[in-house]
Amino acid sequence: MAQPADTDQITQLNAARNLVLSDAAFYPQIVNGILPIVGANTRLELRRWGADFLAETFASPVLAVAQKEQLAPNVLQTIRDILELPEKDTAVLQSLVQTSASLYPLVFRHIVNHPDDSKTWETMNAIKQVIFRQMDSFPCPVRICCAKFLQRVVQVQTPGLISDPRRPEQNETSLAVVPRSHALLSIPNLEAESSGLLDRLLGVFQEEISDALLVNATLNCLAPLIRTRQSIANKIVNAVLEFYPSKHVRPPFTPTVRVSVKSMERTARALLINILKRNPNHPMSGKMQMYIERLMQSRLEAPDDASRKRGLPNEPTDGLDNAKRARLNALTPPMLKIPPMAPGPASFDKLFTITEDIGLSSFDVKQLPFDLVLKIVVPLLTQVHDSTLTQATEAIRTRLQTITKEQNMQRQHQQQAAAAADDDDDYEPEYQPMDAASTISEEASAVAAEVADLQPDLVSLGPFVLPQPPPLTEEEAAEIGRAAVARVFGMLNAAESDPPPAKNQQKLGFARLAGSTFDRDAWTVLLARLATRAPAGLEDDNASKTDSAGRRQSTIAESIRETLYRYILEDFRGRLNIAIIWLNEEWYNDRIKMRSAANQRAGSEEETQPTVSLHYDTWVIRLLDGFLAYLDSRDIKVLVRFLSEVPEITIPITQRVASLAKDPERVNLCVQALMYLVMFRIPAREMCLNTIEDVYKTYEESQPAARKVLMKWRPDSAVLATANGEESSVAPSQPDTLPTSAAE
Amino acid sequence: MAYDPRRPNSGTSTPQPTPPPPPPPPAPAAAETTEMATALEEAKPADEAGTTDSYKLKFCTVCASNNNRSMEAHLQLSGAPTAYPVISFGTGSLVRLPGPSITQPNVYSFNTTSYNQMYEELNSKDERLYRGNGILNMLDRNRHLKWGPERFQDWVPGMPRVDHLSKGDKGAIGTEGGVVDVIITCEERCWDAVVDDLMNKGSALNHPVHVFNVDIKDNHEEALTGGKAILDLANRLNEAAVAEHRVHGSAGWENGTGPARQSFDEKVPEILADWQEKYPHLPALWTLAWL
Repeated sequence: MAQPADTDQITQLNAARNLVLSDAAFYPQIVNGILPIVGANTRLELRRWGADFLAETFASPVLAVAQKEQLAPNVLQTIRDILELPEKDTAVLQSLVQTSASLYPLVFRHIVNHPDDSKTWETMNAIKQVIFRQMDSFPCPVRICCAKFLQRVVQVQTPGLISDPRRPEQNETSLAVVPRSHALLSIPNLEAESSGLLDRLLGVFQEEISDALLVNATLNCLAPLIRTRQSIANKIVNAVLEFYPSKHVRPPFTPTVRVSVKSMERTARALLINILKRNPNHPMSGKMQMYIERLMQSRLEAPDDASRKRGLPNEPTDGLDNAKRARLNALTPPMLKIPPMAPGPASFDKLFTITEDIGLSSFDVKQLPFDLVLKIVVPLLTQVHDSTLTQATEAIRTRLQTITKEQNMQRQHQQQAAAAADDDDDYEPEYQPMDAASTISEEASAVAAEVADLQPDLVSLGPFVLPQPPPLTEEEAAEIGRAAVARVFGMLNAAESDPPPAKNQQKLGFARLAGSTFDRDAWTVLLARLATRAPAGLEDDNASKTDSAGRRQSTIAESIRETLYRYILEDFRGRLNIAIIWLNEEWYNDRIKMRSAANQRAGSEEETQPTVSLHYDTWVIRLLDGFLAYLDSRDIKVLVRFLSEVPEITIPITQRVASLAKDPERVNLCVQALMYLVMFRIPAREMCLNTIEDVYKTYEESQPAARKVLMKWRPDSAVLATANGEESSVAPSQPDTLPTSAAE
Repeated sequence: MAYDPRRPNSGTSTPQPTPPPPPPPPAPAAAETTEMATALEEAKPADEAGTTDSYKLKFCTVCASNNNRSMEAHLQLSGAPTAYPVISFGTGSLVRLPGPSITQPNVYSFNTTSYNQMYEELNSKDERLYRGNGILNMLDRNRHLKWGPERFQDWVPGMPRVDHLSKGDKGAIGTEGGVVDVIITCEERCWDAVVDDLMNKGSALNHPVHVFNVDIKDNHEEALTGGKAILDLANRLNEAAVAEHRVHGSAGWENGTGPARQSFDEKVPEILADWQEKYPHLPALWTLAWL
């Protein structure tokens, strides 16, 4: 092309651009044609146009990647030349950095496939270094584009996904496509560099004062990184999660600052929502949700308070608004300037002197005749401002208080020292008979003398030991114990309201440790053991010795039991689990105590027989009684679970169960529960069969169901024989629906 | 030589779906565009004559259906004395226009239905109803602005839009490259959709774009006041951008001082805050995203 006038040149260039926009096939020709025209050392207009055009060219989705790759080396050299001028114009820089960001993946790929083209790689690296070196000194718009360039480089230099190893040309450009033995690209170096660059990119979230532009620009370009680069995704998400925009602004909340904060918050939210939408099962989804909620909340609180209806009136701080200021001034009394007390030993005159005028303070009032003083003082007092007087008296009062405090402390020290050092031999009470007529100055000097004596002690304060608290009374101890228990129960409730942990978490069964996880069960175990094992051994001894002591001891344990009992009954269906944990603990504790009692008995034959108070039987019956009344006919699973999982079945228990048969509605419940015990709880089988016989005899409604059980398990039962005759035509009733398992 | 390729192009595509221009109500700018197709040659050099002075930001307006709010803003921006380059989109899945009842909307697909088709269809369905609720007037305005509603999510940034120029779309001059500097949405939902979609698109162009939201209720009156407010915002933004261009251009970077040295991008939060004080009933939002 020729070199016509300036405007003509731009017009021509625009025509060329329009040509390639309508037909991308002309790109190679045009790009190579314009490079010398718009290169370094040309006019600003031309450089701007050229930079814009290059940015557009390498971003264009219509120009094939292969062609861009072909054009890249020439263009790179031009960019490098312009950047190293150095270029000053923001618009040119902006476009060139954009172009570089588009070029980087292309060049990287080109180098992967052409390890011998070291010149191109060297040029690219030079551009990269210029950008990174000057990034922080560039004007803001260029810095934004630099952040984008950073993101591009990180994306390229981090291993990505290999979608199809057989067709390398289809894979996305990333570190993963670099062969291990590449001549120019060393994988560890590139990776290290990109990790550093990522830190630099994310550093924007740690600035004390955030630049909304840069933060938004960064947030908005992170999505592709998080999506396609697994290895760094978590790091990025964490950096975002620790960023709270409202904490990164300085207090004067101007509308501009508010716009910035809001935009950062909304952008951060948009980013997280974008991630969550792509992958709802993201491992950090919980944290992200919480962050989003917290953002919403902080938005209501923080700098948005201007939106509330009546904010503080906007008062000028520079005192320009004199009308208002004046009135405020009239209302506030003049502040009295009170100097600190003069140094040296304290005396009354020093105490009461609040003027700094030496002449005034050394003036002896006693020289004046009494009535003259009166004449001066009385009118003066009427004129003194109220608040001035109060201020003065307050000042004197605080001075006096500090002095007395110091003196008390000194006296204490002295006494301690005296007590430690000496006996009472040469004890002389420091009693000075008060002279009624003693003048102020005398007393003042006495005080001063005392203070002077004690001065050195003041400097070296000895260690202070808190006195032992008074021992707790029994009631107090019990009260505190109960409070502690109440707190643990509080934890139980809190743990309950938590969302249930992930279902897929494996149940540990026997392998678990009590209290290893801080969930509800752990707290239950803790409580049960607190009730059972902690006081074990104590209560029995005490019970045998003194009645009152025994009662006290048991109250803590008993109150835990009582509370547990009530807690379970509040919702026995849901808290059956707790009941079972507790009863097992009780039973185990009873066993242990019995064993140790037996040992003692074996050791000492004749002495006081140690008695063991057993709790399991009492509490299992109480619990059963507590909820039996509320069981309805469909609660078979609850009852069976309870009966099968409590550690021991006793006759009283079976009797309680049998009593269910009184209610015609719950006959089946009773029989089925017993049948379950017969089938699966072998040690209790005989006991239960006996109970079923009783039920059969006592309650007529139970006969059809009970008969079947007896026929199967005790065909030779006497009750059956007597009943057989009359009951021949009983319908086979419903098929036995066995409670299959102790369901959850 | 340079003008040749565009000319045949404009020649081939103009007869295609260009709406018949019966009554031209938004007269002021309409004349300009009809004339534009023929006078392209003159327009171009004139435009470039004072390169730095005629610098214009490129805008994009977005609402749900690309019919009411975004099109009103499109009209305001493209018709302004400055005649900004502007394109417009909708973020909904389909174009929804009010029908005889709230449960029976008229539904069209994006990108393939022209405003003219919609106009003709509704006109034949129930002219009284659609004239009464203003839909026909709206469609009439739209068909003189551009061919049909476009979906934001289907937009490929950077894809040349030379054909829109030849179709006579208003605001097409300057957006041939398929790139914009500012996106203005008319509803928070749309802003969310736009920001989200830009993240999904992967920002392949590395081109920064300011995304604003100006919350406008979806009715004709609000669209009009909202459109004017958007024009005001656009004027303020453009002023700052032109100023930056000049400072760094003829005067040179070193000559400016203090706020004058501040770039256009840095001024954006400030501009928006000022603008918001003037329009407190149109809550605004902003971010800097990537195309």
